Amino acid sequence: MAINTKVIKRRLKSIGSTKKITKAMEMIAAAKMRKAVNAAIDTRAYAGLAWELLVDLSKTQKEQVPLLATRPVEKILMIIITSNRGLCGSFNANIIKKTAAQMTREKAAVDVVGIGKKGADFAKKMGYNLTAAFTNMTDTPNFDDALPIAKMVIDAYEKKSYDKVIVAYTDFKSALVQTARLRQVLPISESDLEKTLAEITELSDDKTVVKNNLTDYLFEPNRLDVLKIILPRLVETQIYQTMLESSASEHSSRMVAMKNASEAAKDMISELNLTFNKARQAGITQEIAEIAGGAMALE
Amino acid sequence: MLKFKIVTPEKTIYENEIFQVTIPTMEGEITVLPNHIPLISVLKAGELKFKDKEGQQQMAVSGGFLEVRGKNEIVILADHAQRVAEIDIDKAEEARARAEEQMANLKNAQDVDYAKLQAVIDRELNKLKVVKKYRKLP
Repeated sequence: MAINTKVIKRRLKSIGSTKKITKAMEMIAAAKMRKAVNAAIDTRAYAGLAWELLVDLSKTQKEQVPLLATRPVEKILMIIITSNRGLCGSFNANIIKKTAAQMTREKAAVDVVGIGKKGADFAKKMGYNLTAAFTNMTDTPNFDDALPIAKMVIDAYEKKSYDKVIVAYTDFKSALVQTARLRQVLPISESDLEKTLAEITELSDDKTVVKNNLTDYLFEPNRLDVLKIILPRLVETQIYQTMLESSASEHSSRMVAMKNASEAAKDMISELNLTFNKARQAGITQEIAEIAGGAMALE
Repeated sequence: MLKFKIVTPEKTIYENEIFQVTIPTMEGEITVLPNHIPLISVLKAGELKFKDKEGQQQMAVSGGFLEVRGKNEIVILADHAQRVAEIDIDKAEEARARAEEQMANLKNAQDVDYAKLQAVIDRELNKLKVVKKYRKLP
Protein backbone atom coordinates (compact mmCIF):
# COMPACT_ATOMS: atom_id res chain seq x y z
CA MET A 1 0.00 0.00 0.00
CA ALA A 2 2.85 2.34 0.74
CA ILE A 3 3.91 2.29 -2.90
CA ASN A 4 0.38 3.06 -4.00
CA THR A 5 0.18 6.25 -1.96
CA LYS A 6 3.52 7.32 -3.36
CA VAL A 7 2.30 6.88 -6.94
CA ILE A 8 -0.87 8.79 -6.22
CA LYS A 9 1.06 11.56 -4.56
CA ARG A 10 3.30 11.93 -7.58
CA ARG A 11 0.32 12.14 -9.91
CA LEU A 12 -1.32 14.71 -7.68
CA LYS A 13 1.75 16.87 -7.85
CA SER A 14 2.03 16.66 -11.61
CA ILE A 15 -1.65 17.45 -12.14
CA GLY A 16 -1.30 20.35 -9.73
CA SER A 17 1.52 21.90 -11.74
CA THR A 18 -0.31 21.29 -15.02
CA LYS A 19 -3.26 23.09 -13.55
CA LYS A 20 -1.07 26.02 -12.62
CA ILE A 21 0.16 26.24 -16.19
CA THR A 22 -3.28 26.02 -17.77
CA LYS A 23 -4.58 28.60 -15.32
CA ALA A 24 -1.78 30.99 -16.25
CA MET A 25 -2.36 30.37 -19.95
CA GLU A 26 -6.03 31.06 -19.48
CA MET A 27 -5.31 34.40 -17.91
CA ILE A 28 -2.78 35.37 -20.56
CA ALA A 29 -5.21 34.38 -23.31
CA ALA A 30 -7.94 36.46 -21.67
CA ALA A 31 -5.73 39.54 -21.59
CA LYS A 32 -4.61 39.05 -25.18
CA MET A 33 -8.17 38.46 -26.27
CA ARG A 34 -9.28 41.75 -24.79
CA LYS A 35 -6.53 43.53 -26.66
CA ALA A 36 -7.34 41.81 -29.94
CA VAL A 37 -11.06 42.46 -29.59
CA ASN A 38 -10.43 46.14 -29.00
CA ALA A 39 -8.19 46.31 -32.03
CA ALA A 40 -10.82 44.57 -34.13
CA ILE A 41 -13.48 47.01 -33.00
CA ASP A 42 -11.23 49.98 -33.70
CA THR A 43 -10.73 48.89 -37.32
CA ARG A 44 -14.41 48.60 -37.95
CA ALA A 45 -14.80 52.37 -38.13
CA TYR A 46 -12.26 52.64 -40.93
CA ALA A 47 -13.46 49.57 -42.76
CA GLY A 48 -17.07 50.72 -42.54
CA LEU A 49 -16.33 54.16 -43.95
CA ALA A 50 -14.09 52.84 -46.70
CA TRP A 51 -16.69 50.26 -47.75
CA GLU A 52 -19.38 52.86 -47.89
CA LEU A 53 -17.33 55.06 -50.11
CA LEU A 54 -16.64 52.17 -52.41
CA VAL A 55 -20.23 50.95 -52.55
CA ASP A 56 -21.30 54.41 -53.66
CA LEU A 57 -18.45 54.72 -56.09
CA SER A 58 -19.05 51.41 -57.77
CA LYS A 59 -22.75 52.11 -58.02
CA THR A 60 -22.51 55.34 -59.92
CA GLN A 61 -20.34 53.98 -62.67
CA LYS A 62 -18.67 50.89 -64.01
CA GLU A 63 -15.04 51.69 -64.33
CA GLN A 64 -12.56 49.33 -65.87
CA VAL A 65 -10.36 48.80 -62.86
CA PRO A 66 -8.52 45.49 -62.70
CA LEU A 67 -9.50 44.84 -59.11
CA LEU A 68 -13.20 45.07 -59.93
CA ALA A 69 -13.02 42.87 -63.02
CA THR A 70 -14.69 39.50 -62.76
CA ARG A 71 -13.34 36.71 -64.88
CA PRO A 72 -14.42 33.12 -65.37
CA VAL A 73 -12.93 31.35 -62.38
CA GLU A 74 -10.14 28.99 -63.30
CA LYS A 75 -7.74 29.47 -60.47
CA ILE A 76 -8.45 30.37 -56.86
CA LEU A 77 -6.20 31.66 -54.16
CA MET A 78 -7.24 30.60 -50.69
CA ILE A 79 -5.79 32.43 -47.72
CA ILE A 80 -6.09 30.41 -44.53
CA ILE A 81 -5.70 32.29 -41.28
CA THR A 82 -4.82 29.99 -38.41
CA SER A 83 -2.78 30.19 -35.25
CA ASN A 84 0.91 29.51 -34.89
CA ARG A 85 0.47 27.48 -31.77
CA GLY A 86 -1.90 24.80 -30.64
CA LEU A 87 -3.71 24.34 -27.34
CA CYS A 88 -6.62 26.41 -28.47
CA GLY A 89 -9.46 23.93 -28.62
CA SER A 90 -11.08 23.34 -31.98
CA PHE A 91 -10.01 26.70 -33.38
CA ASN A 92 -7.66 25.38 -36.05
CA ALA A 93 -9.66 22.21 -36.69
CA ASN A 94 -12.78 24.23 -37.48
CA ILE A 95 -11.13 26.54 -39.94
CA ILE A 96 -9.33 23.69 -41.64
CA LYS A 97 -12.50 21.65 -41.91
CA LYS A 98 -14.32 24.58 -43.47
CA THR A 99 -11.52 25.21 -45.94
CA ALA A 100 -11.18 21.56 -46.90
CA ALA A 101 -14.90 21.32 -47.57
CA GLN A 102 -14.77 24.39 -49.77
CA MET A 103 -11.73 23.16 -51.65
CA THR A 104 -13.31 19.86 -52.57
CA ARG A 105 -16.37 21.73 -53.76
CA GLU A 106 -14.46 24.09 -56.04
CA LYS A 107 -13.94 22.89 -59.54
CA ALA A 108 -11.14 25.34 -60.20
CA ALA A 109 -7.55 24.77 -59.16
CA VAL A 110 -6.73 26.07 -55.71
CA ASP A 111 -3.51 27.55 -54.41
CA VAL A 112 -3.02 28.25 -50.75
CA VAL A 113 -1.45 31.03 -48.73
CA GLY A 114 -1.05 30.15 -45.09
CA ILE A 115 -1.09 32.75 -42.37
CA GLY A 116 -0.10 30.91 -39.23
CA LYS A 117 1.81 27.68 -38.96
CA LYS A 118 -1.14 25.33 -38.62
CA GLY A 119 -2.77 26.35 -41.88
CA ALA A 120 0.50 26.07 -43.75
CA ASP A 121 1.11 22.62 -42.28
CA PHE A 122 -2.34 21.52 -43.31
CA ALA A 123 -1.84 22.67 -46.90
CA LYS A 124 1.50 20.88 -47.09
CA LYS A 125 0.07 17.68 -45.69
CA MET A 126 -2.90 17.68 -48.02
CA GLY A 127 -0.68 18.31 -51.01
CA TYR A 128 -2.09 21.68 -51.96
CA ASN A 129 0.14 24.12 -53.67
CA LEU A 130 1.33 26.38 -50.88
CA THR A 131 2.52 29.54 -52.58
CA ALA A 132 3.43 31.48 -49.47
CA ALA A 133 3.38 31.08 -45.72
CA PHE A 134 3.39 33.89 -43.20
CA THR A 135 4.24 32.20 -39.96
CA ASN A 136 5.92 35.02 -38.09
CA MET A 137 2.76 36.86 -37.15
CA THR A 138 2.53 38.23 -33.65
CA ASP A 139 -0.38 37.66 -31.32
CA THR A 140 -1.75 41.08 -32.03
CA PRO A 141 -1.12 41.83 -35.68
CA ASN A 142 -0.78 45.45 -36.71
CA PHE A 143 -1.63 47.04 -40.00
CA ASP A 144 1.90 46.78 -41.35
CA ASP A 145 1.71 43.00 -41.02
CA ALA A 146 -1.22 42.89 -43.39
CA LEU A 147 0.45 44.99 -46.07
CA PRO A 148 2.83 42.43 -47.60
CA ILE A 149 0.05 39.87 -47.80
CA ALA A 150 -2.32 42.33 -49.41
CA LYS A 151 0.33 43.46 -51.87
CA MET A 152 1.09 39.92 -52.93
CA VAL A 153 -2.61 39.16 -53.41
CA ILE A 154 -3.30 42.31 -55.38
CA ASP A 155 -0.30 41.83 -57.65
CA ALA A 156 -1.26 38.24 -58.34
CA TYR A 157 -4.80 39.24 -59.16
CA GLU A 158 -3.77 42.04 -61.45
CA LYS A 159 -1.40 39.70 -63.28
CA LYS A 160 -4.38 37.37 -63.70
CA SER A 161 -2.59 34.53 -61.93
CA TYR A 162 -5.79 34.06 -59.95
CA ASP A 163 -9.41 34.75 -60.75
CA LYS A 164 -10.74 34.75 -57.23
CA VAL A 165 -9.25 35.29 -53.80
CA ILE A 166 -10.92 33.91 -50.70
CA VAL A 167 -9.94 34.37 -47.09
CA ALA A 168 -10.79 31.64 -44.61
CA TYR A 169 -10.87 33.15 -41.15
CA THR A 170 -12.65 32.83 -37.86
CA ASP A 171 -15.27 35.40 -37.10
CA PHE A 172 -15.33 36.59 -33.55
CA LYS A 173 -18.91 36.84 -32.35
CA SER A 174 -18.33 36.68 -28.62
CA ALA A 175 -15.90 35.12 -26.17
CA LEU A 176 -17.84 31.86 -26.42
CA VAL A 177 -18.95 31.86 -30.05
CA GLN A 178 -16.60 31.92 -32.99
CA THR A 179 -17.43 30.68 -36.45
CA ALA A 180 -15.17 29.70 -39.29
CA ARG A 181 -15.98 31.76 -42.34
CA LEU A 182 -15.01 32.35 -45.93
CA ARG A 183 -14.90 35.81 -47.38
CA GLN A 184 -14.29 36.71 -50.99
CA VAL A 185 -11.74 39.48 -51.13
CA LEU A 186 -11.21 39.72 -54.85
CA PRO A 187 -12.82 40.53 -57.20
CA ILE A 188 -14.66 43.13 -55.19
CA SER A 189 -18.27 42.52 -56.07
CA GLU A 190 -21.17 44.73 -55.26
CA SER A 191 -23.35 42.12 -53.59
CA ASP A 192 -20.47 41.07 -51.37
CA LEU A 193 -19.81 44.66 -50.52
CA GLU A 194 -23.29 45.30 -49.32
CA LYS A 195 -23.30 42.11 -47.31
CA THR A 196 -20.06 42.97 -45.60
CA LEU A 197 -21.13 46.52 -45.01
CA ALA A 198 -24.34 45.34 -43.41
CA GLU A 199 -22.31 43.10 -41.13
CA ILE A 200 -19.95 45.86 -40.17
CA THR A 201 -22.57 48.44 -39.43
CA GLU A 202 -24.52 45.90 -37.49
CA LEU A 203 -21.50 45.24 -35.32
CA SER A 204 -20.36 48.77 -34.72
CA ASP A 205 -22.30 51.25 -32.66
CA ASP A 206 -21.89 53.87 -35.31
CA LYS A 207 -25.30 54.04 -36.89
CA THR A 208 -25.11 57.64 -37.96
CA VAL A 209 -24.10 56.67 -41.46
CA VAL A 210 -26.15 58.52 -44.04
CA LYS A 211 -26.42 57.42 -47.62
CA ASN A 212 -25.18 60.15 -49.87
CA ASN A 213 -25.81 60.74 -53.48
CA LEU A 214 -22.38 60.59 -55.01
CA THR A 215 -23.37 62.25 -58.23
CA ASP A 216 -22.89 65.72 -56.84
CA TYR A 217 -19.48 64.95 -55.44
CA LEU A 218 -16.38 66.63 -56.63
CA PHE A 219 -13.45 64.31 -57.21
CA GLU A 220 -9.83 65.27 -56.97
CA PRO A 221 -7.86 64.35 -59.05
CA ASN A 222 -10.67 62.30 -60.72
CA ARG A 223 -12.96 59.36 -60.09
CA LEU A 224 -10.77 56.75 -61.65
CA ASP A 225 -7.71 57.77 -59.67
CA VAL A 226 -9.64 57.84 -56.44
CA LEU A 227 -11.01 54.39 -57.19
CA LYS A 228 -7.58 53.08 -58.07
CA ILE A 229 -6.22 54.21 -54.74
CA ILE A 230 -9.12 53.18 -52.61
CA LEU A 231 -9.43 49.61 -53.91
CA PRO A 232 -6.05 48.29 -52.77
CA ARG A 233 -6.59 50.06 -49.47
CA LEU A 234 -9.82 48.18 -49.03
CA VAL A 235 -8.19 44.86 -49.73
CA GLU A 236 -5.54 45.68 -47.15
CA THR A 237 -8.11 46.70 -44.59
CA GLN A 238 -10.11 43.59 -45.21
CA ILE A 239 -7.16 41.30 -44.78
CA TYR A 240 -6.12 43.19 -41.68
CA GLN A 241 -9.59 42.88 -40.28
CA THR A 242 -9.85 39.17 -40.88
CA MET A 243 -6.47 38.77 -39.20
CA LEU A 244 -7.67 40.65 -36.16
CA GLU A 245 -10.91 38.71 -35.98
CA SER A 246 -8.97 35.48 -36.19
CA SER A 247 -6.56 36.60 -33.53
CA ALA A 248 -9.40 37.54 -31.19
CA SER A 249 -11.03 34.19 -31.88
CA GLU A 250 -7.81 32.30 -31.32
CA HIS A 251 -7.25 33.85 -27.94
CA SER A 252 -10.79 33.42 -26.79
CA SER A 253 -10.93 29.79 -27.87
CA ARG A 254 -7.61 29.20 -26.14
CA MET A 255 -9.00 30.85 -23.06
CA VAL A 256 -12.03 28.58 -23.08
CA ALA A 257 -9.91 25.50 -23.74
CA MET A 258 -7.57 26.36 -20.88
CA LYS A 259 -10.49 27.06 -18.59
CA ASN A 260 -11.85 23.61 -19.34
CA ALA A 261 -8.45 22.08 -18.75
CA SER A 262 -8.08 23.83 -15.40
CA GLU A 263 -11.50 22.64 -14.34
CA ALA A 264 -10.77 19.08 -15.42
CA ALA A 265 -7.54 19.23 -13.43
CA LYS A 266 -9.43 20.47 -10.40
CA ASP A 267 -11.90 17.56 -10.61
CA MET A 268 -9.08 15.10 -11.06
CA ILE A 269 -7.23 16.48 -8.06
CA SER A 270 -10.22 16.17 -5.76
CA GLU A 271 -10.86 12.64 -6.96
CA LEU A 272 -7.24 11.64 -6.52
CA ASN A 273 -7.17 13.25 -3.08
CA LEU A 274 -10.02 11.00 -2.07
CA THR A 275 -8.29 7.88 -3.36
CA PHE A 276 -5.08 8.99 -1.74
CA ASN A 277 -6.75 9.41 1.64
CA LYS A 278 -8.45 6.06 1.30
CA ALA A 279 -5.17 4.40 0.43
CA ARG A 280 -3.41 6.07 3.32
CA GLN A 281 -6.20 5.02 5.69
CA ALA A 282 -6.04 1.49 4.36
CA GLY A 283 -2.27 1.48 4.85
CA ILE A 284 -2.54 2.61 8.45
CA THR A 285 -5.30 0.11 9.21
CA GLN A 286 -3.22 -2.64 7.73
CA GLU A 287 -0.15 -1.65 9.72
CA ILE A 288 -2.15 -1.65 12.95
CA ALA A 289 -3.58 -5.02 12.06
CA GLU A 290 -0.09 -6.34 11.42
CA ILE A 291 1.25 -5.03 14.73
CA ALA A 292 -1.76 -6.38 16.56
CA GLY A 293 -1.31 -9.68 14.74
CA GLY A 294 2.41 -9.75 15.66
CA ALA A 295 1.67 -8.95 19.32
CA MET A 296 -0.97 -11.66 19.39
CA ALA A 297 1.43 -14.20 17.97
CA LEU A 298 3.99 -13.39 20.74
CA GLU A 299 1.56 -14.07 23.52
CA MET B 1 -19.10 74.03 -37.23
CA LEU B 2 -17.89 70.96 -39.06
CA LYS B 3 -18.27 67.43 -37.85
CA PHE B 4 -14.75 66.13 -38.18
CA LYS B 5 -13.51 62.58 -37.90
CA ILE B 6 -10.11 61.15 -38.66
CA VAL B 7 -9.67 57.38 -38.65
CA THR B 8 -6.78 55.08 -39.46
CA PRO B 9 -7.05 51.34 -40.03
CA GLU B 10 -5.92 50.88 -36.45
CA LYS B 11 -8.24 53.28 -34.68
CA THR B 12 -10.21 56.49 -34.63
CA ILE B 13 -7.72 59.26 -33.88
CA TYR B 14 -9.97 62.24 -33.40
CA GLU B 15 -13.66 62.93 -33.57
CA ASN B 16 -15.18 66.30 -32.70
CA GLU B 17 -16.69 69.50 -33.98
CA ILE B 18 -14.23 71.91 -35.51
CA PHE B 19 -14.24 75.30 -37.22
CA GLN B 20 -11.94 74.57 -40.11
CA VAL B 21 -9.37 72.09 -41.33
CA THR B 22 -6.40 72.36 -43.68
CA ILE B 23 -5.47 69.16 -45.43
CA PRO B 24 -2.51 68.21 -47.65
CA THR B 25 -3.89 66.55 -50.82
CA MET B 26 -2.32 65.31 -54.03
CA GLU B 27 -3.59 68.44 -55.76
CA GLY B 28 -2.18 70.77 -53.15
CA GLU B 29 -3.21 71.97 -49.75
CA ILE B 30 -6.88 72.68 -49.23
CA THR B 31 -8.82 74.24 -46.40
CA VAL B 32 -12.33 73.08 -45.67
CA LEU B 33 -14.76 75.48 -44.06
CA PRO B 34 -18.40 74.90 -43.18
CA ASN B 35 -20.78 74.55 -46.16
CA HIS B 36 -18.10 73.10 -48.38
CA ILE B 37 -19.46 71.20 -51.39
CA PRO B 38 -19.20 67.40 -51.26
CA LEU B 39 -15.70 66.33 -52.22
CA ILE B 40 -13.60 63.21 -52.36
CA SER B 41 -9.87 63.58 -52.61
CA VAL B 42 -6.61 61.77 -51.99
CA LEU B 43 -4.29 62.69 -49.15
CA LYS B 44 -0.59 63.22 -49.35
CA ALA B 45 1.94 62.90 -46.54
CA GLY B 46 2.15 66.17 -44.70
CA GLU B 47 0.73 68.30 -42.00
CA LEU B 48 -2.94 68.54 -41.18
CA LYS B 49 -4.12 71.56 -39.22
CA PHE B 50 -7.49 72.10 -37.68
CA LYS B 51 -9.10 74.57 -35.35
CA ASP B 52 -11.42 73.39 -32.64
CA LYS B 53 -12.67 75.00 -29.47
CA GLU B 54 -9.28 74.59 -27.86
CA GLY B 55 -7.51 76.40 -30.68
CA GLN B 56 -5.21 75.32 -33.47
CA GLN B 57 -4.00 71.73 -33.52
CA GLN B 58 -1.61 69.87 -35.79
CA MET B 59 -1.27 66.30 -36.93
CA ALA B 60 1.17 64.46 -39.11
CA VAL B 61 -0.71 62.38 -41.68
CA SER B 62 0.53 60.15 -44.46
CA GLY B 63 -1.69 59.02 -47.30
CA GLY B 64 -5.37 58.18 -47.42
CA PHE B 65 -8.59 59.87 -48.47
CA LEU B 66 -10.83 62.59 -47.39
CA GLU B 67 -14.52 62.82 -47.89
CA VAL B 68 -16.46 66.00 -47.38
CA ARG B 69 -20.10 65.04 -47.08
CA GLY B 70 -23.05 67.31 -47.28
CA LYS B 71 -24.34 68.61 -43.97
CA ASN B 72 -20.97 69.87 -42.83
CA GLU B 73 -19.39 66.51 -42.26
CA ILE B 74 -15.82 65.66 -43.04
CA VAL B 75 -14.24 62.25 -42.75
CA ILE B 76 -10.57 61.48 -43.23
CA LEU B 77 -9.38 57.95 -43.78
CA ALA B 78 -5.66 58.23 -43.21
CA ASP B 79 -3.08 55.49 -43.49
CA HIS B 80 -1.35 56.91 -40.53
CA ALA B 81 -2.01 59.92 -38.34
CA GLN B 82 -0.53 61.19 -35.14
CA ARG B 83 -0.94 64.37 -33.20
CA VAL B 84 2.09 66.56 -33.01
CA ALA B 85 1.99 66.54 -29.23
CA GLU B 86 2.12 62.75 -29.23
CA ILE B 87 5.03 62.35 -31.60
CA ASP B 88 8.19 61.17 -29.99
CA ILE B 89 11.11 62.67 -31.92
CA ASP B 90 13.64 60.12 -30.74
CA LYS B 91 11.39 57.23 -31.56
CA ALA B 92 10.57 58.59 -35.00
CA GLU B 93 14.25 59.20 -35.70
CA GLU B 94 15.10 55.73 -34.51
CA ALA B 95 12.37 54.10 -36.60
CA ARG B 96 13.54 55.95 -39.67
CA ALA B 97 17.17 55.01 -39.10
CA ARG B 98 16.20 51.38 -38.59
CA ALA B 99 14.12 51.32 -41.75
CA GLU B 100 16.91 52.91 -43.77
CA GLU B 101 19.39 50.44 -42.45
CA GLN B 102 17.15 47.53 -43.35
CA MET B 103 16.66 49.02 -46.77
CA ALA B 104 20.40 49.22 -47.31
CA ASN B 105 20.77 45.62 -46.24
CA LEU B 106 18.23 44.24 -48.65
CA LYS B 107 19.24 45.54 -52.01
CA ASN B 108 17.90 42.60 -53.95
CA ALA B 109 14.91 41.78 -51.77
CA GLN B 110 11.35 41.47 -52.97
CA ASP B 111 9.55 44.66 -53.80
CA VAL B 112 7.10 43.92 -50.99
CA ASP B 113 9.67 44.66 -48.32
CA TYR B 114 11.03 47.54 -50.29
CA ALA B 115 7.68 49.27 -50.59
CA LYS B 116 6.92 48.67 -46.94
CA LEU B 117 10.21 50.15 -45.80
CA GLN B 118 9.89 53.10 -48.11
CA ALA B 119 6.46 53.79 -46.65
CA VAL B 120 7.89 53.65 -43.14
CA ILE B 121 10.69 56.03 -44.05
CA ASP B 122 8.32 58.50 -45.68
CA ARG B 123 6.00 58.37 -42.74
CA GLU B 124 8.69 58.92 -40.14
CA LEU B 125 10.33 61.67 -42.15
CA ASN B 126 7.02 63.43 -42.43
CA LYS B 127 6.46 63.12 -38.70
CA LEU B 128 9.86 64.59 -38.02
CA LYS B 129 9.30 67.42 -40.45
CA VAL B 130 6.01 68.37 -38.88
CA VAL B 131 7.23 68.04 -35.35
CA LYS B 132 10.35 70.10 -35.93
CA LYS B 133 8.28 72.91 -37.30
CA TYR B 134 6.44 73.26 -34.01
CA ARG B 135 9.01 72.39 -31.45
CA LYS B 136 12.20 74.20 -30.74
CA LEU B 137 15.11 71.93 -31.17
CA PRO B 138 17.43 71.67 -28.20
